[in-house]
Amino acid sequence: MRQSPTLLIARQFWRHTLKSGALLPLLGLFCLLLAYATFTGWKTYQVQNKLRKHYQAEVRHEWEESPDKHPHRMAHYGYLVFRLKHPLSAFDYGLESYTGNAVFLEAHRQNTVNFSEASFSTGLLRFGDISMAMLLQLVLPLMLFFLGFNSITSEREQGTLKILFSQGVGWKELLLGKTLGLLSIAGLFFLPVVLSLLFLTAFGEVEQSQNWLRLGSILGAYGLFLATLALVAVLVSAYSSSSKTALVRLIGLWLLWTIVLPRSTQALGNYWHPSPSKVEFEARVEQDLIKEGDSHNPDDPHYKAIKDSLLAAYKIDSVQQLPFNYSGFIMSEGERISAEIYNRQWHQLLAVYTQQNRLAETSALLNPFMALKNLSMGLAGTDFYAYVDFQQQVETFRYQLAQRMNRLQMRYISNQKLGPQDKPYQISRKHWREMPDWQYQYLNVGQVFQQQVLSILAQLFWLVALWVLLLYSSKKLRVI
Amino acid sequence: MYALEINHFLRSKGAMGGLVLLLLVGCLSLLIGRQFVAKQQQAQAEIARFQREHIERNVRYHQDEMGLLLYYLRFTLVNPNQPLNALSIGQRDVQNSIQSVTIRGLENQKYDTDLHNPVNLLMGNLDFSFVVIFLFPLLIIALTYNLLSEEKEEGTLRLVATQARSTLYFLLRKMSIRMLAVFTVLLLLLGIAVVALKLPLDSTTLAFVAVAGLYLLFWFALSSWVISWQRNSGLNAVALLSFWVLLTLVFPAALNAYLINRYPVPEALNTMIQQREGYHEKWDLPKAVTMDKFYAHYPEFKKYPLPDKTFSWLWYYAMQQMGDDESQPAALELKHKLQQREQATAVFAYFSPAIHTQLAFNRLAAADLQQQLGYWEATERFHERLRLYFYSRIFENRAVKTENWYSFRVESFVAKVEVNWAKMLLPLVLSIVVIGGLGLWGLSRRQVL
Repeated sequence: MRQSPTLLIARQFWRHTLKSGALLPLLGLFCLLLAYATFTGWKTYQVQNKLRKHYQAEVRHEWEESPDKHPHRMAHYGYLVFRLKHPLSAFDYGLESYTGNAVFLEAHRQNTVNFSEASFSTGLLRFGDISMAMLLQLVLPLMLFFLGFNSITSEREQGTLKILFSQGVGWKELLLGKTLGLLSIAGLFFLPVVLSLLFLTAFGEVEQSQNWLRLGSILGAYGLFLATLALVAVLVSAYSSSSKTALVRLIGLWLLWTIVLPRSTQALGNYWHPSPSKVEFEARVEQDLIKEGDSHNPDDPHYKAIKDSLLAAYKIDSVQQLPFNYSGFIMSEGERISAEIYNRQWHQLLAVYTQQNRLAETSALLNPFMALKNLSMGLAGTDFYAYVDFQQQVETFRYQLAQRMNRLQMRYISNQKLGPQDKPYQISRKHWREMPDWQYQYLNVGQVFQQQVLSILAQLFWLVALWVLLLYSSKKLRVI
Repeated sequence: MYALEINHFLRSKGAMGGLVLLLLVGCLSLLIGRQFVAKQQQAQAEIARFQREHIERNVRYHQDEMGLLLYYLRFTLVNPNQPLNALSIGQRDVQNSIQSVTIRGLENQKYDTDLHNPVNLLMGNLDFSFVVIFLFPLLIIALTYNLLSEEKEEGTLRLVATQARSTLYFLLRKMSIRMLAVFTVLLLLLGIAVVALKLPLDSTTLAFVAVAGLYLLFWFALSSWVISWQRNSGLNAVALLSFWVLLTLVFPAALNAYLINRYPVPEALNTMIQQREGYHEKWDLPKAVTMDKFYAHYPEFKKYPLPDKTFSWLWYYAMQQMGDDESQPAALELKHKLQQREQATAVFAYFSPAIHTQLAFNRLAAADLQQQLGYWEATERFHERLRLYFYSRIFENRAVKTENWYSFRVESFVAKVEVNWAKMLLPLVLSIVVIGGLGLWGLSRRQVL
């Protein structure tokens, strides 16, 4: 039975690479790094989430156990929210190290999410994180280029290319065979990754069936990426006159794609779209607030108008006669206005950030690494959109907390002013339990795909473009 | 011979292209650094006006109650950027350089971060320190990896050997020309930086230049060691690039992961909880609990007895104080952990020129963790001073008008940057001597032909 020449070539490449001295040290080093990355990733996830869940439970406990008190005091006692890591963050840290982890929620005020790992770093973090994804995106491609740079050139240099062609092998079979061979070598590196990932997902508290969907998509995305790399390596080798040239070209491409393009596109995006500092941002919020109505200003016209219309509607002459607590009503109005203003400014800020990121995101069309990087972060729940979504959920929770306390005040707190020696008004602690606990919802996979549509298209584009180039090259390339 | 060699080098398109490209990227990095510092300085300048208006407005609203006014008033301590910060952004993009605090509990104010786009942080800054630490070595590798092997592969080595005194001498000559070119670019960029960024010509700038120069020298030494193995060009390139990946990417990242797991900081979250409970629970406890502790902390305020009212500002600020006092152990533990991280990093840095160089740059630019800890401590002192100043005025309920509010200007923290020459340069010098020595020894020992 005659085997297809493509498979023969693939098998020959596989055998040849296995026998060469380079594979084992590279594979060994990769597995060593992988083991380390898996272990630290898993441990960080375990330790951090355990810690955060522990403190989150403590926060809830203290909240429910709070004694009877005035609801507005409870609104300032507030809530602490700790950001939970997604199980797959152990695979791809993404933005994890740079995003805040804890936020204090209270009435009238949107606090920053603090305590990012980066803020406690000695400066080392700027060299990057080591994670399974980093190894797959940075180290493995380089190793594959090292193993594949002479896939065609060595045949040319040793004169075996002519022999192959004289035996009826065509360029298409040769290129395809070498690509398949290199891809199977890549599979050798990928296998331990798959095992580590299965381990992570199986033991990493699978909270949703979504995690398996995410995992499957991650494996698919990286599989396509490895195919892209194999094609790049073989095609560059085919177009190079010598092994040295092929190697230098591949190294150049690797540097361009992993280091130079991502950093410079992001830096340029940042340079062209400067974002406001916190001082500037807060000044804008405060300015809008003074314009629309400042509940802290006793003579504010907006609140004066509300008061007048209330008095007219209820046909009374002082707010003490209202059937609900007046200051509770004013605070709920103030909360509504300030939250609206804050959200408006915050969305403007996000728009600037999105503009900053767009250049790097779009560079995926020139850079298959970038497409994968973003898709991988998205699937691991560690990208920009996941963080924005977290902040949005936090703000919604904060707003509902504050307004719930305002409603309690309106309903249960008397309108009569207390004397200096009187016991302050308070309500029963049974109301604290009525407020639902903080529940963080990860984005679902459908949303992730929507957000990453550019990355997915770019990945497919690269694969198709390289395939077309391969077919085109089969007719154009010369043997000598 | 030298002139001929230089001529040959200057005419190679690849080499010149690389040098020019690096020069351009270097200039871009200076622009980025300048923009970064300018943005921070602008915010620091704006805060002065902002604070004046803020105080003015609140004084107008809250004329009658000193305690209520001080509930709102914010006072600012800024951490101005050193000129060198434009060369090495370091931690300054993550850390807040403006602390605007009220005299209420400090522990839930001092960790507030600035606003930033996390993607920028992930991708990293394209600042001058990145160009030196990551890109210059790549150029050095590209210029030197095939110095010897190329001649061998093209069959010109024999010819050269007959003309030069020795292979070593021939190689050193080639190497020195490349060094000259690389250092010219480095000095050119630093020269531009000094002029464009108005860097002071003091010991910190000098130390920065020295560290950068030695770091590049290390890469030349490493390259000559690899050349001394006398393998083919391909293997040299693979070996040098592998060193680059390991030294600038893998090793620092692995070390970082180790440190994070070795010294986790649950104290950060704990401080937050302690502060909040320490303050809020006091509302529901008998007032004596708070006041006894407060008077024990500040005996000088015993002369202000608690008024017989349901609410008094004395009690309120005493409760606020309790938030800080009771979270103190956790906060100290947090600081201690960060110090441990700092020390461990410094030890590992002796074995990694890239880490050492980055840390040295950050230290010189006052952009490291150490200065941040200093800034936090300065904020604590600043806060304590204001707190003590206003406590007595609040407890006496002095008239708001009696205070000269214009005297409360924005204050600055100045990080102390000490140049410890031995600590900064010796690790680099040592690694150059060891690696470069290995290279020279290998080249002089082995017969090339």
